Amino acid sequence: MDHTLLNWIIFLPMIGMTAILLCPKRSVGLIKLISLVATFIPLVLATWLYFVGFEKGTPEYQFEFLRPWIYSASESMNMKVNYYVGIDGISLPLVWLTTLLLFIGVPASFGIKKGEKAYYALLLLLEVGILGVFVSLDYFLFYVFWEIMLLPMYFLIGIWGGPRREYAAIKFFLYTLAGSVLMLVAVIALRLETGTFSIPEMTELAMSGGLLGTNLFEGGMLMGMKFTTWVFWFLFVAFAIKIPVFPFHTWLPDAHVQAPTPISVILAGILLKLGGYGLLRACFPIVPGAFDDFAFTLGVLGVISIVYGAYVALGQTDFKRMVAYSSVSHMGYVLLGVAALTEWGANGAALQMFNHGTSSAAMFLIVGVIYDRAHHRDLNGFGGLSQPMPVYWGMTTLAFFAALGLPGLAGFVSEMVTLLGAYQSEDPRFRVLVLISVIGIVITAAFLLWAIQRVFLGTLNEKYKDYSDINAREIFCQAPLLFLCIALGILPAYLLDWMEGSVEHWVTSMQQAIQIING
Amino acid sequence: MEYWDGMKAIAPEIWLTSFALLALLLDLITKGRNSRNVGYLTLAGLGVTALALMGQGDEVVTAFGMVEVDKFGRFFKLFTLAALAVVCVFVMSDRRERQHGIGEYYFLLLGAAVGIFFMVSTNNLLLLVLGLELLSLASYSLAGFHKGNKASAEAALKYVIFGGLSAGVMIFGISLLYGLTGTIDIAEMATLGAEGIPRGLTGQLAASPIPVGIAVTMVLAGFAYKISAVPFHFWTPDVYQGAPTPVTTFLAVASKAAGFGALLRFMGVLFVRDDVQGLVADYGSQVGLLIAVLAAVTMTVGNVSAIGQSSLKRMLAYSSVAHAGYLLMGVATMNEAGFSAALFYMAAYYFMNLGAFGVVLYFEGVTGNDHIDSLAGLGRKAPLISIVMVAFLVSLTGLPPTIGYYGKFMLFTATIDSGMTWLAVVAGLNSAVSLFYYFRIAKVLFLREGPDGAAPRTQPIFTGMLTAFGVCTVVFGLYVSPIMRWVADSMDLLE
Repeated sequence: MDHTLLNWIIFLPMIGMTAILLCPKRSVGLIKLISLVATFIPLVLATWLYFVGFEKGTPEYQFEFLRPWIYSASESMNMKVNYYVGIDGISLPLVWLTTLLLFIGVPASFGIKKGEKAYYALLLLLEVGILGVFVSLDYFLFYVFWEIMLLPMYFLIGIWGGPRREYAAIKFFLYTLAGSVLMLVAVIALRLETGTFSIPEMTELAMSGGLLGTNLFEGGMLMGMKFTTWVFWFLFVAFAIKIPVFPFHTWLPDAHVQAPTPISVILAGILLKLGGYGLLRACFPIVPGAFDDFAFTLGVLGVISIVYGAYVALGQTDFKRMVAYSSVSHMGYVLLGVAALTEWGANGAALQMFNHGTSSAAMFLIVGVIYDRAHHRDLNGFGGLSQPMPVYWGMTTLAFFAALGLPGLAGFVSEMVTLLGAYQSEDPRFRVLVLISVIGIVITAAFLLWAIQRVFLGTLNEKYKDYSDINAREIFCQAPLLFLCIALGILPAYLLDWMEGSVEHWVTSMQQAIQIING
Repeated sequence: MEYWDGMKAIAPEIWLTSFALLALLLDLITKGRNSRNVGYLTLAGLGVTALALMGQGDEVVTAFGMVEVDKFGRFFKLFTLAALAVVCVFVMSDRRERQHGIGEYYFLLLGAAVGIFFMVSTNNLLLLVLGLELLSLASYSLAGFHKGNKASAEAALKYVIFGGLSAGVMIFGISLLYGLTGTIDIAEMATLGAEGIPRGLTGQLAASPIPVGIAVTMVLAGFAYKISAVPFHFWTPDVYQGAPTPVTTFLAVASKAAGFGALLRFMGVLFVRDDVQGLVADYGSQVGLLIAVLAAVTMTVGNVSAIGQSSLKRMLAYSSVAHAGYLLMGVATMNEAGFSAALFYMAAYYFMNLGAFGVVLYFEGVTGNDHIDSLAGLGRKAPLISIVMVAFLVSLTGLPPTIGYYGKFMLFTATIDSGMTWLAVVAGLNSAVSLFYYFRIAKVLFLREGPDGAAPRTQPIFTGMLTAFGVCTVVFGLYVSPIMRWVADSMDLLE
């Protein structure tokens, strides 16, 4: 329990932040350099962790680190909070993705010319919060990191965002906070019920059918509803807002459209994954009985997100807004796959989280490239851009094809596996859901292809004929993401092998727990 | 002999009173020319009193059969002294305050502190009322201190009228309790008597709970006024806005803490202690339910009213109403965990509210008014103070990693543990609402462009103090054990 590596990964960006705050305001070059270093070292460490340190195929938590944090001699006030971090096959790819996208986020931000010192400091603080959530195994700690993330995000959107940034920033903050106060209440109730904040211990107790709320409430019932049901919905809403699942998605288009490009990248690439990760780690395994009761409802919500998200994206004329709605659609697969509770479904969902992280990040970078040149994002205002910007066109096409699920690219694998898994579900109604979600795939293909057509094909608008092609810095940001889109389309095993141990254990223990609880 | 023991037990109160008189005398001698010296004398008096307090022993002493010298009271007394010290620094560093030539200011502050000291350490309802009235009288004059200022005078008058009314209601309630139980001491009310014996509450409750309910509710009204709980909060926005800012700070922090100290003692001794008669303790949980409803309504009204405010002080006034609601959650649990949580939140409240009012004082000095919109662009011109303000706002909202978060966490835990999950949910949603108006300040500071101009002048001591408060707000949110230990140590009230 004494591996300090994760602590370094989490807190190195914070050291970088401190260094930036000590820098004079005018030495912008130094600030950028520090940010690059402070995001690059965690990436290196995470890469080492991924390929060398991590032992594949086992569901155990690895690289654990545990220290008592808040204890008290007084019995009524003893909260028994630990600083407890660790990773398994579900969190490791997301940790790596986080370090990668934050590293990309720094050069992608070089275009920002206002208040650089504060900007990079906040960016690094954001990384601390995100990484902290992914590795926390103590629910109290999880919550603290979950909230730490909000503040830098608020200012990053609010200060450096588009014209309606004030509205978008507070809307993002309010939505997430409304969800997380519900999470706080549920977490406290769980702590009082189980006597621990440790997520593994809570999970273990729940898996043996011992977490029913009978310690806290008579018969485990509260206002005519099961305690576990209350906890389930409180936690689910908190995480569903983050994913975002229909009908909690309305903050997302505003936040995305107003945020500066690198922040959109991080928002779509990682922040949305926090919701999916939260469901897998800190919601479903803790109340497996309630999950079983509402699995079909979750599947329905997932499918509505898939189809509705795609349908609304089809109607957008703002390039960025369209990409934002495509995120709603793509994240719907995660919920559908998990709700089916099959090994394929869960693996697909975990894959989809990673692949959406790369493809949506790539798409937001693409929008950023054209916005930097044209200063507008009206899809109907472009045309024929393939002539002045051929490389850019190629990269866009690749990213879009990855997102729409072209075979051979990453999106295809994860969507396919997810849908197959959902089809295998014991509940036959899931087959109907799979059939409906296919409509979403078709619409997704439609809006992405239509967007390519409107932006790159057709007659060249005279205004744009002098545009320079995508430059080296932009390619540098874009390339690793596109590489992943291709590589993981051909060799998904490079992700699956790492996740499998944990994901399969997750599914089987959930199935067993449901059997125990249902008798 | 007994007399001297008693005098020794109330030595801090005697020191405080002596320094109050000295302050008045010094002002008289220097003819109000050098009020800064009076400020230093006051600070010295606060320090001496604090030393006297800390020199007291651990065991509970009852002086003159009226004053309970225990660690619970000491918590609130030290709290008051610490808050007053900050208020003094505010007064001394505010140029506008100095124009009013102001020896009496310090005298009144110290006098109010004497009232608070007695208020939080007595089981005797008579002495409680005396302490409360002493505090109120001093506060009325302080609120109206800017004699030429119409808003200040109006604030004082409103304060007097509401104060008189609620004090009357409270005293009527106390007289009912006295008539019902035959004693003016709450410890005796709770422990004495049995069925058929009129002395003590048990006999009365066995006969009919209604008269006791009326009496307790009326007493509660007096407390509700001091802590500005709904529906006795109407004075709060006007008085907070009209009064000089240091006085507002005093009312929001010290005076409110005193109200809570007395309320916790009243409820704790009457209903929660182990030696309380069974029937009385059962009745206590019903009173707890009443307080829970009061808490829910108070925090909701406070937060919703704060949303539309354009004056900083008025917004903070409604925010302090909301915080009274959060604190009441701890009282409503009627158990040790809840009371500890309330004490912890009180400590959190100290840092974040003194800090926030300090920043408001600073902003007032810069912009000349307290409109939120006039803060535009200050985030760039005065970055340190603005960042510190964000820390206070985060803490007031109750987000980690701040002390305000941990306080709310403890309150929620105690509330859920005592079976009032609904209250925790209401409070949680209230925090989300409060975010909206707290971050309006952050928004105007950082997200809006302001007029160009040089960075405003700052006084190093003042800035340093606010920064220290900001640091404490964050550090004690991550490292809570010192405060937890202090709070746990102060729970001898219930033994």
